Order: sequence, then structure tokens, then C-alpha cells
Amino acid sequence: MNILKLVLKNITRKKARSFLTLLGITVGIASLVSFLSLGSGLKDEIKKQAADLGANLIITPKGWCAYEQVSVLTGEQLPEAIPLDDVRKISAIKGLTAVPYLTERTAIDNSPVPVIGILPSQMKVFKGWVTDKGDFLESDEKSIIIGYGIAQQFKLNPKDELTIRGERFPIKGILKETGSKDDIAMFMPLSVAQRLYGVGDMVSFIAVKVDDIAKTDEYILKIQETSNVAVVSDKQLLKSVLSIVGTVNATLQLTCIVTILTAAFGVINTMMTAVSERRREIGILQAIGARQVTIFKIFLVESGFYGIVGGIVGVTIGLVFSSIAAAYISRNEFTAFLKSPDVAKGFEFNLVMGALFFSLLVSLMSGLYPAWKASKLSPVEAISYE
Amino acid sequence: MNDTILKTENLVKTYNSGKIKTFALRGVSLEIPRGTFSCIIGPSGHGKSTLMHLIGCLDRPSAGRVFIEGNDISALSNDTLAGLRARKIGFVFQFFNLLQNLTAVENVETAMMFAGISQRQQREKAISLLDLVGLSEKINAKPSELSGGQQQRVAIARALANDPNILLMDEPTGNLDSESESEVLDTIFTLQGKTVVIVTHNTEIAKRAERMYYIKDGRLAEQNI
Repeated sequence: MNILKLVLKNITRKKARSFLTLLGITVGIASLVSFLSLGSGLKDEIKKQAADLGANLIITPKGWCAYEQVSVLTGEQLPEAIPLDDVRKISAIKGLTAVPYLTERTAIDNSPVPVIGILPSQMKVFKGWVTDKGDFLESDEKSIIIGYGIAQQFKLNPKDELTIRGERFPIKGILKETGSKDDIAMFMPLSVAQRLYGVGDMVSFIAVKVDDIAKTDEYILKIQETSNVAVVSDKQLLKSVLSIVGTVNATLQLTCIVTILTAAFGVINTMMTAVSERRREIGILQAIGARQVTIFKIFLVESGFYGIVGGIVGVTIGLVFSSIAAAYISRNEFTAFLKSPDVAKGFEFNLVMGALFFSLLVSLMSGLYPAWKASKLSPVEAISYE
Repeated sequence: MNDTILKTENLVKTYNSGKIKTFALRGVSLEIPRGTFSCIIGPSGHGKSTLMHLIGCLDRPSAGRVFIEGNDISALSNDTLAGLRARKIGFVFQFFNLLQNLTAVENVETAMMFAGISQRQQREKAISLLDLVGLSEKINAKPSELSGGQQQRVAIARALANDPNILLMDEPTGNLDSESESEVLDTIFTLQGKTVVIVTHNTEIAKRAERMYYIKDGRLAEQNI
């Protein structure tokens, strides 16, 4: 016989109660791990998407809110509010390359897909795009090129046709995989998109690459002198998006911590009930030679068991859940740009060890008072308890 | 040699219930020689079990002193007393007090765990002790699968686990039918060389005792040495 065996015997005799206590810790840790894993993956993906945008500055209409700024990265449909004339004026500024985007939306087999109006030749240079199959777009021609992910998802090939807003568009080419949101979008010449969506000569936003990053502030001033637009640097954009994601993450994690604290009260409750129920047994153990510290240890190990087992099961479920959830997240319109395999971080040593440590700490803290109570029982009173 | 293994000096135990002070023992002094078979008898509620708890280091006296093997234990810490209980004293209670979720052999092993005996030795000794009390066939039975007499014999095996010098038994046959009682008595009377102190109402046990202490109204009213 040893303490661990004794503890396991105690835990297994009230199976339902032990299971429910364990479940509380497991659910809390699983949700914490899921959100930490997804949150950390989300941040990395956003940084990647910002880098893939290939722009130093983003020009948006004045008065855009944070959601619209996020949508620049996510490829969401955006209001068309910058006239093409402004694009021309900005393009004329020396030392920068400006490419306009008109972001609209269509659906294939009822799944929403971004349709982006671009200036094909400019965009090809700007993004360094290469086709995987077929050819690249010519200016003003009524055809589309599609991202690698879209082609895979809907099994599309060059020369297939897609109907967008009642008009048929042949697929001219398929882009090579970029690992960015471009993989899950369709592109058509800007003028064709403007006509198709009836937006006149408007575009949604303009991505700008500057020749000399040191002069970024100078360019911002020049752009604002030229047109009545807002200019945000890629770093500012990234910061504002990350701060939104961070706030959402923090809120979710706080909810998980509250769940874990609730589970901690479950452990305290279970252990206090155990002390009360096993009062006589504690007296027996004392009578046959158990020291106060040994009784304390027995109850603390028991509560620690909930933390360790609940932690291990919770971490496992959390990691599995986050990898499954990642696929669903990629179907969500707002987060569609996040490609599923990369969103969940998978096994991360620090995350796993941190969650296990937290789980153990919470359960040990929960067990302190009941264990102390048990160790302070008088042997005679405990043994006489009925 | 008849040296004293257990000694009490003016042992007083009071219980406070609000403003009311109840005397359980009112100055009991006695000496129990090593290796003897002693009985504590007397009416119910007159302090026999309280005396047993005090000489068994389960409780502390309100006044007076308890000596075990010449050492005053009254001022020892709780942990030191627990160590004494583990190594020097074996208890047998009226209601068996076995751990219900453990098997017979595990109940005996648990007592050895607290004395720091290795797991391998625990198992070997527990099996031999259960064999000694005639329960070699029941080592893996839980208390609920055993008769009262069998449970009490497991308790005796547990009390002997750490080879204690003193065995304290509080009404060991008080909760048994006559058949089980005779099984347990047979086991008790085979214990040679141990200092056995039994609180009992059982006349058969009392007749076999070398020493008898009669406790009444919390006092040692009579002793038959």
C-alpha cells in the first residue's frame, strides 16, 4: 500500500462524483487550450496575411471603422468609395506603386467567395503572381482567374465557366498557391467588376508600395494632399487588427478562466464532502499511525489528481477541438481567409505545460483547505463520528 | 521481570459543553506491567473508553500524565504521538473500524505503510498475519464480504502489523454474535508475550485476565492484581 494507491481507491469508490468533478476541470482546461491555440494561430495568420498583402500603405475612404480595416486583410466585401480618378492621381506620385481593389462577393455552390476587381498587369507585378494552370488575365477582357484553393475546393479548371450575377465568365487561369487569402478569391479586370456590380468608377481601397520606406510619412502627406482619403500604414493596420483579435481572445480566455475557477469550487466541494464523509476513516488512519502531514498529503494528492487528469484530458480535447474547429472557422465569412491547417497551433510545448501547470495549481489550491481541515481532526472525535 | 510498560498518574479528563463541565475521568492512577493480559471493566459511560483513548495516545488528558515505557507522552507533539501509535500500539475497536474500500490484506498493509515498511514487506507480512488469524482464504475480500468475526480478526491482524508492544482493545467482542465471539476470543488468547489491555463487559475475557481494573464514575474503584 502507498499513498497514491490509497488515493486512487478513494477516488474510484465515488465514480460519478469524481467523474463530474473531473469533467469541470476538463471542460475549463479544454476551452482554455482551444482558445489559446486558436488565438495564437489567428494572430500568426493575420501577421502572415498582412505580409502577403505586399503593401506598405493602405488607402481607404475617410471614416472607415476598425471592422472595415480588418476586412482589408480578410477580403470581405467593402463599400466602394474611392473614385478611380483618385487612384490615377495617387499613382502619379513619384516613388510609389498604387494598386486599386474592388472587393465584392459571389457564391459558388452556395459558399461565399470574394470577387476582386484588379488591374491585371499591375497586380501581376505588384504581387508577383504566377499561374499554375492556364493564362493570366488581359485588361478589360470578360474572364476571371481564380485562386488555387478555390480551384481545389470546387474542382475547377481553366476553360470552365462560372456564372456571376447572371453572367457567364470563363476561367482563364488558376494562380499558383500563395498561402494567403488570394488562394480563396476570384479576380477579374477592374472595369469588368465595376460594370458587373454597378459601382461606376469606384474602388474599395488602394494598396500602395513605396520605393523608400524611410520616407513613408512623406508619402502619406503627399497622398493626403492629392486626395481626400485616409492613409494607414501596414503596421498600423496590423496593430489595429491584432488589438481587435487580442481583445476578443482576452475576453474568451477570461471566460475560460471563470469556468476553471467554477470547476475549482467543484473540487473544493467534492473534497469538503469527502472530508465530511470520511471523518471516521480519517480517525481510523490516525489511530493506526497516520501523521497530520500524511492525512494532509492524502487529501491534497486526491485534489491534485483532479488537476493532473483533468488537465491532461482537457489539453488533449482542447488541441483536438481546436484543430477540428479550425476547419469550421475557415468557413466563417469573417475568418474565411484563415486556412484551416495553420489556424490551430497544434502541440505547443509551452501551451501544454502551461495549461497542465495551471490545472494542477488550481486543483491543489482548491484542495488546501479541505486537506488542512482533514489533518486537524482530532483522532478521538473522528473515530467516534457516526 | 515485571517492568511497567503503561502507567497513568492522576489522569483527569473533562469535556466542556458550553458552561457545563463533565468529568469523564477523575484522577486515575494505574500501572500495567509488560507482557500482561489486563482488563478494564465497569459500567457503560463511566470512563473506560476515555481511559483507553488516553493510554493509546488518541487523546490528551486534561490533567495528569501518561507514561509509555517510562516516557511521559503528555507533552509530545501530535506527530510524535502518531509515530508512537504506528510503532508501539495496536488498536482493536468494537465496530472493527476497517477501511471499507480496501481488501483485508490492504487494510493490514495500510498500518504498515504509516510505519514506513516497504510495499513488498507489507504484502508478505500482511498475508502471514491474516494466515495467523485464520483468514488466508479471505485476503482479497472487502469488509462488506466478511462476517463480523472475520472483520474483527482482520482488525486484530492490522493491530499486530507493526509488531507493537501494546495491544489496546475496546469491547472487541461487543458487536459479535456468540459464534463470531468465540472465533475472536480464540485469536485473542493466542497472543503471547504482548501487553494486552481490553475494555470489556465479557465475563469470559475478564476471567482469563491476569489483572483487572474496575472503573466507576471516572475513578479506579478497584483493582484485582
